[in-house]
Amino acid sequence: MPKETRTRYIIFFALLILLVVAGLNWGAIQEWMALKGVVLRQAAVTGILVGSVLSLVAMGLTLIFGVLDIINFAHGALMTVGMYITFVLFDRYGVDPYLSILITVPALFGIGLVVQRLIIHPARNAPAHNQLLLTLGLAILIENFLLIIFTGTPRSIRLDYGRGLTAVGPLTIDFPIRLAGTTITMNKLAAFVFAMVLAVVLFYILQRTDLGKAIRATAQDKEGASLVGINVDRINLITFGLGTACVGAAASLVLPFLFVDPFAGNTFNITAFVIVVLGGMGSIPGALLGGLIVGLTQEMAVVFLPSSTKLLGVFIVFVLVLFFRPDGLFGSKS
Amino acid sequence: MKTQKTLFALLLVIALVLAACGGADTTTEEPPVEEPAVEEPAAEEHADEEHADEHVEEAAEPVVINIGSIHPLTGGLAADGIQMDNAVQMAVEEINAAGGVLGGAQLAVLSADTTGSAEVGQTEAERLIGEGAVTLVGAFQSAVTVNIAAVAEREGVPLLIDVALADSILDQGYTYTFRTMANATVVSTLGAQYMVDMAAAAGEPVENVAYLFEGTTGFGDSARAAFVEEAGNLNLEILGEFSYEPFAVTDLTTEMTAINALGADVLVVTGYYNDGLLAATSAEEVGVDVKAVYGVAQGTYDQAQFVADAGDLAQCFFDANYHWDAANPEALAVRDRFEATHGEEMRSAAFLSYQVTWLIADAIERAGSADPSAIRDALADTSYADHLLPFTGPIEFDETGENINAIPVLMQVQDGAVLQVWPPELAEADPIFPCTSWSE
Repeated sequence: MPKETRTRYIIFFALLILLVVAGLNWGAIQEWMALKGVVLRQAAVTGILVGSVLSLVAMGLTLIFGVLDIINFAHGALMTVGMYITFVLFDRYGVDPYLSILITVPALFGIGLVVQRLIIHPARNAPAHNQLLLTLGLAILIENFLLIIFTGTPRSIRLDYGRGLTAVGPLTIDFPIRLAGTTITMNKLAAFVFAMVLAVVLFYILQRTDLGKAIRATAQDKEGASLVGINVDRINLITFGLGTACVGAAASLVLPFLFVDPFAGNTFNITAFVIVVLGGMGSIPGALLGGLIVGLTQEMAVVFLPSSTKLLGVFIVFVLVLFFRPDGLFGSKS
Repeated sequence: MKTQKTLFALLLVIALVLAACGGADTTTEEPPVEEPAVEEPAAEEHADEEHADEHVEEAAEPVVINIGSIHPLTGGLAADGIQMDNAVQMAVEEINAAGGVLGGAQLAVLSADTTGSAEVGQTEAERLIGEGAVTLVGAFQSAVTVNIAAVAEREGVPLLIDVALADSILDQGYTYTFRTMANATVVSTLGAQYMVDMAAAAGEPVENVAYLFEGTTGFGDSARAAFVEEAGNLNLEILGEFSYEPFAVTDLTTEMTAINALGADVLVVTGYYNDGLLAATSAEEVGVDVKAVYGVAQGTYDQAQFVADAGDLAQCFFDANYHWDAANPEALAVRDRFEATHGEEMRSAAFLSYQVTWLIADAIERAGSADPSAIRDALADTSYADHLLPFTGPIEFDETGENINAIPVLMQVQDGAVLQVWPPELAEADPIFPCTSWSE
């Protein structure tokens, strides 16, 4: 354990130095807070709200990786499919995007099953890079298929509620909520609430149900799992379905405040990879926390790193975390 | 077991082939998907006939003259890129229908997809030239166009920029690249002047601005730098500059909160369509307290789609940008024809692609040959007055390849329509200033 102790000492002293420096510059900090406080609060609010959706996407990705050992490059493209399903349901049939979660989740679950059965499963014994190329090819296939059907024109939907006084169950809330200078819109708050509920549901399934136990067992040791009578192929199938169902839900949640074009999922794909590694490959709590951290970091970058891209801040935190915890926040030592 | 392995191999092959086709489809065959491929062979046949019986004396000339159209047909800018490619195709069809060039030779379009990447753009430009393109049209992004211009110069094939703003493309002393639209310096300089003049005319002078721009493809920074320089001459203070990554940005409320805290008179924005839309919705959500949101070479606020996507929120957004000549009935007819064929409203970028394709036909005609260097010389001597763009004179290129008469025009969304509002001689309506849709 000497290495672990050393890491703790490094963190401890770093924090101590930080505190001393902060103490010495307290006046300057107060001045700065008066100037930037609002922006900092907004960054925190937006970071957590948007981060929750990132968490959901990353949870699906990490679940698939944990069980199937596959890095699914088609994850973002599948999310785009979910976004188009939500868009068409709204545009054509007037289905509320939050209601359409009930359709996108089973639909993406089903698509996940088909993809796993027809494409991933037959390649299960192929070298890892072949599997990776396979998912990449699938992503290109999906994107171009969507491009032919929907063209490249970005589509967005506009809800006719969520502005001004809105009844939320027994409460009436005036959206957007103005809280200490920050702005919280209905659609982002809804995304946050739904994402957290779904995260809890997923967590419950994995921790408390027989299916969840079987999934976790398969993730830990395939052979062991099959020896105790778990049908590993079936678990792989269901896991892939669950993983893609996550992006189905995320897709319906982001559409009210984003737009969809055939490549819209890519942004989430890249960020989700960072989150998965940050949280620890295969760790669900890691993905949840990682998503919030990445969400917060990319917004904080606006405050602390003027005129830079948001991802720069994310990668600084990414490198720092991996420096101290090479296996990610919740990663198991391997 | 064996059958399963064979099945796997087969599936893998099918998947890869399909994936490859998926890519290739959109690279080279996307335009014909919308505008049936049937017409092209017919046109070629037609050209062959004409060639056979009418132009024996010009036997040395190729019957079909290839024009390379190179745009982002996939990726975050595919919506514009595909429209631009379609517009080149439409212009070529119209030129051919009007008798072609050089007394009957037909034009044909070779399409390529830059995918939005400078490296891909470069190799695709090389491929197009290798396949016989005598002129290139492209490429919507400055960073990509820089590389294509280098290829054009090296291979001695003219590149006609339809849309690409950065000055730096023509800073290299290239002799084969020509730009019809105004460059970043002209758009931003005049954009800043229009703002100050328009605000002064409205009796609400602008003293300071905050600038939000896309910071990764070169175009946003190019526009911003020129604006900041002109701001110095106009005594306009820049209170803050914020950049973002246009294809990865999912939220701008934090930026808008920061901008709001600065208390600037006007928020200036430069970027592409999707991110510009996000900036608009974020500005409204936060309720940014400015006199106006003012695009400079912004790809959103002068588009009809912005009004469709943003609804009432779009009201009063300004944009100083390239445009078609809204006062010219022929320009409106072009847009109607495009919409009838493709089912989408023709964007300004596609209009520029359409226009420069006619410019190429004019140059080939004057060159009297389809030889790339002869076309280059003809392009350099261009004086094209029949254009459909709101410029101060005919399209004429200086020695660096810039159109000396190119200017931007200021547009504003007013009651659901994008109208030209400044300079006064091009205005369809008076500007509404100060105004944001959330201020009332």
